[in-house]
Amino acid sequence: MPSTLIEPTTKLPPSTHPFAEIIHRLERGGSMLPDTEENLMQIIGLYKAYAIPMDFYWRDLLYIAERVFLDPVPAFKYFLPKEYLELANHYAGDNADLRIWRGYATAHKELLEFIEKGELKARIPKLFHHFYHDRINMEFAEECMRAMFWHRNMGGLLEPYMDSAEYKQNADRAIRAYFRDNPIMLGLYKLFPDMFIEQCRQATMYSVLGLFWEVMCPVFLEMSDIYDEGGFKGVPDAMNFLVNGIFAIAGRPIYHRVYIRGEWYDIVPKSKGFTWLYEAAFPYVEAVFYRTSPFRGTKSYNAQAREVPDDQNDFHYGILYADKFPVASAGIPPTLLHQDMYHFLPQYLVDYYQKFCRGADDMLIQLGVSFQRSMYNVTSAVIQAGRAAFLYPLDDPNPRHLWANRYYFEGQLNRFANPKYGMNKAARILAIQSQDYR
Amino acid sequence: MLSTLIWLPIGGATIASFCSAKWARIVAILTSSAILFLHVLLLRQFNLGTGEFQFSENLPWLPNIGLNYTLGVDGLSLPLLVLNALLTWLVLCFDREVKERPRLFYVLILLIHAGLSGAFLALNTLLFLLFYEIELIPLYLVIAIWGSKQKNYAATKFLIFTAVSGILILAGFLGLAWVAPAPKPVFDYQSLRSLSLPVTAQIVLLLLLVAGFAIKAPFVPFHTWLPDTYVESATPVVMILGGVVAKMGTYGLFRFCVGLFPEAWSLLSPWFALWAGLGILYGAVTAIAQKDIKRMVAYSSIGHMSYVLLAAAAVTPLSLVGGIAQMVSHGLILALLFNLVGIIEKKVGTRELDVLNGLLNPLRGFPTVSALLILGGMASAGIPGMVGFIAEFLVFQGSFSKFPLPTLLAILGTGLTAVYFVILLNRTCFGKLDNKTAYYPKVLSSEKLPAFVLTTLIVFLGIQPHWLVTWSETTAQKISSRLPSNAIVQLINLQQQ
Repeated sequence: MPSTLIEPTTKLPPSTHPFAEIIHRLERGGSMLPDTEENLMQIIGLYKAYAIPMDFYWRDLLYIAERVFLDPVPAFKYFLPKEYLELANHYAGDNADLRIWRGYATAHKELLEFIEKGELKARIPKLFHHFYHDRINMEFAEECMRAMFWHRNMGGLLEPYMDSAEYKQNADRAIRAYFRDNPIMLGLYKLFPDMFIEQCRQATMYSVLGLFWEVMCPVFLEMSDIYDEGGFKGVPDAMNFLVNGIFAIAGRPIYHRVYIRGEWYDIVPKSKGFTWLYEAAFPYVEAVFYRTSPFRGTKSYNAQAREVPDDQNDFHYGILYADKFPVASAGIPPTLLHQDMYHFLPQYLVDYYQKFCRGADDMLIQLGVSFQRSMYNVTSAVIQAGRAAFLYPLDDPNPRHLWANRYYFEGQLNRFANPKYGMNKAARILAIQSQDYR
Repeated sequence: MLSTLIWLPIGGATIASFCSAKWARIVAILTSSAILFLHVLLLRQFNLGTGEFQFSENLPWLPNIGLNYTLGVDGLSLPLLVLNALLTWLVLCFDREVKERPRLFYVLILLIHAGLSGAFLALNTLLFLLFYEIELIPLYLVIAIWGSKQKNYAATKFLIFTAVSGILILAGFLGLAWVAPAPKPVFDYQSLRSLSLPVTAQIVLLLLLVAGFAIKAPFVPFHTWLPDTYVESATPVVMILGGVVAKMGTYGLFRFCVGLFPEAWSLLSPWFALWAGLGILYGAVTAIAQKDIKRMVAYSSIGHMSYVLLAAAAVTPLSLVGGIAQMVSHGLILALLFNLVGIIEKKVGTRELDVLNGLLNPLRGFPTVSALLILGGMASAGIPGMVGFIAEFLVFQGSFSKFPLPTLLAILGTGLTAVYFVILLNRTCFGKLDNKTAYYPKVLSSEKLPAFVLTTLIVFLGIQPHWLVTWSETTAQKISSRLPSNAIVQLINLQQQ
């Protein structure tokens, strides 16, 4: 049963944008993803399947940022200690700062079970699971972090702060403490200080992404629970839940601290007032959804044919453009995230995938497409949140305000319609309008 | 024993024609399995130490006109008999493509098998011609009934070409019988071999037979029926056509042209060698120009059959062994390639090179089929480790000392084979699947089984070629020894002048 959309009292003439139909939907409070029961089922199922590995991602990202830090040989950085598995999520459980998920704050039970037995369903030493790739693949999370770190300058105040003298001073303090008993590394630090500071910035980005996903994990789990209880009536409901969540959480702090020999060293202190929405959510969406996702199925590009933009702003290799099929050679499997989500698919989604294409055989591709749909919905939520934050209500009677909203929506969708570098062909926005895109 | 190989499929076909479609299939499978088993027994009992015909059977049929039911097997016919049995078994056991009139299909395939076996076993030229012509009828029907759009055109073209081929061969055999210095026409192969004919008569009769068999094989420029027939035929039919039926042409060349006219053959062999070299290049170059993968494989066949002509022209023991090995190797590889191309066409709905892409994709493509296609392409291009290399290497090694230039042209042709297979594989298997079209159905395991069987043989015989060449070594030695030495050929040349 589709959810009810807003019917503005003031009508604007139809948009002439190539994606006019989608713009009209956004103007009525809808999502870029069509409102169908099938779409809702797919995106919520995927949110659930994504939330559980994400529970590992955020914990491990924080572990790397706070404990592994500048370890020159971080061989065991993906082996999460018990302390971090029991780390309380600030947005779940009874003692949450802001309770989003009604469940518990420690690592998800399905995740713990998977860590213990893996896909092999056998209790063997962790190292064997690891080498067999029978684990949560942190490589995906790290690639997301690197995408954010590489693009940088996507707005927010954290970016300039990381280049400030204060940041360098904080980092210097932490670096000296971390390598206190290691004269070789201290000597290297003296010789190449910028390299160490850059590594420290990367650790900060670990922390930023970890804190971002610490929020998103309970959001997705709660959405899954609400759906299971029959709570969402359509795709816009799911999107609005995200929009409301974004506003509720927007001001949560973004920080980076390192734990060295029993003492916490602030590199980006909470007191600086960096917030979740501007320093983590927006840059994440920009970097991973639009510009450079770690998905190996991303549109193939050829530098010699000038397919790679000179300007990082023109990159368009994010999830929203990702091809469901691998490129370069046909033998590369889909992204590791697909593999991670595959382990935690809800049964209704497994049953659904069995009915189409090659059933169990190409479930990784089918869930990849569902993931793309769900990320278009998340992007829609971010677009709507941006509209709500900076522009006007959708039922505003003032036509000038509605025109401003339209220009905003059209501006956002222009990113998918730009023929430069073949962006319009690479974007999957038209593909997801059809249920047959699987 | 040998009669069973002919009459068992005929019996099976007769029973199947009275059964329901389901039972007809069961009868066909059981018959082809029994036939294959008999061939295994034949291999076990075959005496490798003699180049003479074995398991001979001789029954007078119409002695007044010289037609006798004389059968025998030697190292030339044995590998082709086994190839025939194997491909028939694969087609009947694993083919699920034929949905329309399946009973008739099984019956006709069994009859084709019987006709081919009869031709390979016949030691009477009239009996050979009888089988050669008889299998034409079921072949015409399987092309015309189960072919694709232009099936009638292709079937008629095939019929006309092969009928002309039959007429030429008949003319050659009748001429031979009449010219032979004997009180009454001779059609018995063994007797004909012992005859001594004037060289001019030999040349005229040889050219008639060569033209007839060149159409069947086919060699350039008698090949124009082949692309249409192969492309328009259904996958199981083209596996038989390309795998075995075409081998009747090269078999006839070895058996009757080289075997019955040794002096004339020796005289003309330089021209045949040059013809082979040019044919190989022509086949390769035309294959490169194709945009349809089935047509490309079909054109590849034209070039590859010319390797056999080169081997026959050289008539050294090594080249003859290589030629026989090439017939088997080509039969296996071509059947594999047509089988895989058929699967791709069935699943994707096209054979166009410009449309196909990324089939090696592990989840939505056909990774196994593509991998086997790559292997088949490599085998066809003569990559070491596979049976194609062994056969071609033996042909080159055996021919180079006698005909260096044509052999070099053939080697160049092998290089060009690699070129068109790289084009085929690069465009078909590699690259990226298109989001809009890549919803192809899965290839079932049963559909892949024939390809697995053929691939296993291609690789096994490539690694252990002894199992391929051992059957024909003595026979090749014997055929080669019957040819006059170079000195005698020069003498004949002088006499001619």
